[in-house]
Amino acid sequence: MRRTRKRQASRREQRRTATFLQRRTFWHDGQSAMQDTREKLIEFRDLQKIYRVGTELVHALRGVSLTIHQNEYVAIMGPSGSGKSTLMNILGCLDIPTSGSYLLNGTEVSHLSQSALARIRGRQIGFVFQNFELLPRTTALKNVQLPLMYAMLPRRRQRALAALERVGLADRAKHRPNQLSGGQKQRVAIARALAQEPDIILADEPTGNLDSATGNEIMSIFDELYASGQTIIIVTHEPDIAQRCHRIVTLRDGMIASDILSERGRAEAAPEGRPEFAPAVGAGA
Amino acid sequence: MNTAGRLSRAGHAVAGAAARSGQNILTAFAQIWANRGRSFLTTLGVIIAVTAIITVVSFVEGFGRYMTNMLRGYGTQYMIVWPDISWEQEITGIGRIIMDERDVEAVRTECPDIQRITPFLFTETQVAYRKSSAKQVPTRGVTEAYQVIRNYYVDKGRFFGPMDVEKAADVVVVGRSVLKLLQCDESILGDFVQIADRRFRVIGILEPKGSFMGDDQDETVMIPYTTMLQMFPQMRTTMRFLAEARSEEVIDQAEAQIRRVLRQRHGLTIGQPDDFGISRQDQMLREFGKVRTIAASVLAGIVSISLLVGGIGIMNVMFVSVSERTREIGLRKSVGGRRRDIMLQFLTEAVVLSTTGGAIGVAIGYVLTHMAGMHPQMVDINVPLWSVALALGFSAGAGVIFGVIPAFKAAILHPIDALRHE
Repeated sequence: MRRTRKRQASRREQRRTATFLQRRTFWHDGQSAMQDTREKLIEFRDLQKIYRVGTELVHALRGVSLTIHQNEYVAIMGPSGSGKSTLMNILGCLDIPTSGSYLLNGTEVSHLSQSALARIRGRQIGFVFQNFELLPRTTALKNVQLPLMYAMLPRRRQRALAALERVGLADRAKHRPNQLSGGQKQRVAIARALAQEPDIILADEPTGNLDSATGNEIMSIFDELYASGQTIIIVTHEPDIAQRCHRIVTLRDGMIASDILSERGRAEAAPEGRPEFAPAVGAGA
Repeated sequence: MNTAGRLSRAGHAVAGAAARSGQNILTAFAQIWANRGRSFLTTLGVIIAVTAIITVVSFVEGFGRYMTNMLRGYGTQYMIVWPDISWEQEITGIGRIIMDERDVEAVRTECPDIQRITPFLFTETQVAYRKSSAKQVPTRGVTEAYQVIRNYYVDKGRFFGPMDVEKAADVVVVGRSVLKLLQCDESILGDFVQIADRRFRVIGILEPKGSFMGDDQDETVMIPYTTMLQMFPQMRTTMRFLAEARSEEVIDQAEAQIRRVLRQRHGLTIGQPDDFGISRQDQMLREFGKVRTIAASVLAGIVSISLLVGGIGIMNVMFVSVSERTREIGLRKSVGGRRRDIMLQFLTEAVVLSTTGGAIGVAIGYVLTHMAGMHPQMVDINVPLWSVALALGFSAGAGVIFGVIPAFKAAILHPIDALRHE
């Protein structure tokens, strides 16, 4: 198992290096998706989610199909009631769809049991919340160790310290949340999400409770993580934040209204030195 | 996957589980400390229950041990045989011999498992010394064998010997309390006292034995039974005697032998009831042990009701804790905590809470018994280790039983609902 894990880790490493190179020549458009050689990380096929509120049925998602590849930097936008939160919950394996298929890393996860979902959350998904959700009275280090403990990974302390190092908070390891500023708290939360080396970092309004300067700092951390090969999905309603991502998926009424590259995404996706070649992704494609 | 890999994986799993339960316990203590006022009030029920268990058990045990030792001190190998005559017989058969010296002699010679035997006559007599007025004193008429059977020894002077019994000498052995009663000290040794208007030489003073169930064992005088028979001739026909078996193992045989000899001598046919009774010291001890166990369990039962109340308190505070920490539960679930992990965490918290209460109760129980033990007239009481184990076990059990429902409630929370909880 350990060996398997090592193998997975090294495969992940190779993948990252490969995608980093591929990104240079990545041509993103709906019609030529087949040309995209990066590994598919998330594949939604016709997802539906229906809630029962009293006697009424609420269609939160009405057939969403979406593919997110390794090392993408995606913003999910949409007005409230658009199904954004539902999509995020399903994406994060907090909830399962009513119908449709969700392949995560090639594995169908839409019908898994609670404890299997918990395992996936613990190993493949790192959450970052608007309210940080740090355990009070618990040091930053212990907070970061929490997912490692549930995943029963060895060398928890070193891993947690390394994660804190990546967000530049190694010197605050022994601080409790009430001794940290909002930005620092969110950085601890990011470190917690990073600690188990997840496939995806899923952030829900990560800057929603921060002033714009601190929000910028947090976004810079996401940028760095992206640059090092991490897949990042940010749910937000702030266009500024969305523009820092490379791809913007907008939901409306439980369906994808648009799925485009941001300016920054276009700039990076275009062939070297030829930004005019980068086309927008067709709406709702 | 090779064996080493499998082993190391198992090692990780074990280490992980250990770390998690350690973490659970730490979290539990942190939570209890953070809400120390509430936690203390909640555990008060358990604390009181456990304190009660510890003190009650210690007292019952202490008094029980005291009584047992006392009974042991009397010797456990002997039995007392007495003529058992009905009220009718007593009226109609006046003067008839029921049990006399010849019965005693027969038992002495015919029962191989009896090693010592002594007639036992008992009455209250007037004892006077010098100017002090006559005092009522329990008086025993026995032989020299009595001191060995009942562990009554003199520490000043001597006990009367076979010769004194043979010639019905006017000698007496007195207990310590009698000295006090007669307002004199040990100088009475060698002097004369009046017992029922007969002059007796004091030849020995009994070592103190203390009192048993309010009965002063030292308030007694002993004279040869032959002398007593001269003073009270009517005792000749209703003589009681004490017989000591060779060892505790052969008491049953010895009793059967006595029964056979006496029935034969008294001409009783099959079916006729015994005209005598035999009571055994070891039976008394056993009976007493039973009473003691029953008393302890009844008290423990009553006390465990208070533990129940304490447990309900814990359940209540656990419900509060779960609903206060709903968001934390949601977070733990979103970072990979499974239902069983959450369940275990809250169960651990309930158990830690109740066991901490139990430990405090044990400590208070110790202090209380120690304080009670400082009273000079108190018997020796100790807190038995098993009662500590029992009390801690029970309080931990209460934690599990009353923590299960709140922990389950926490475990089945949906992560999304829990995270959205305000």
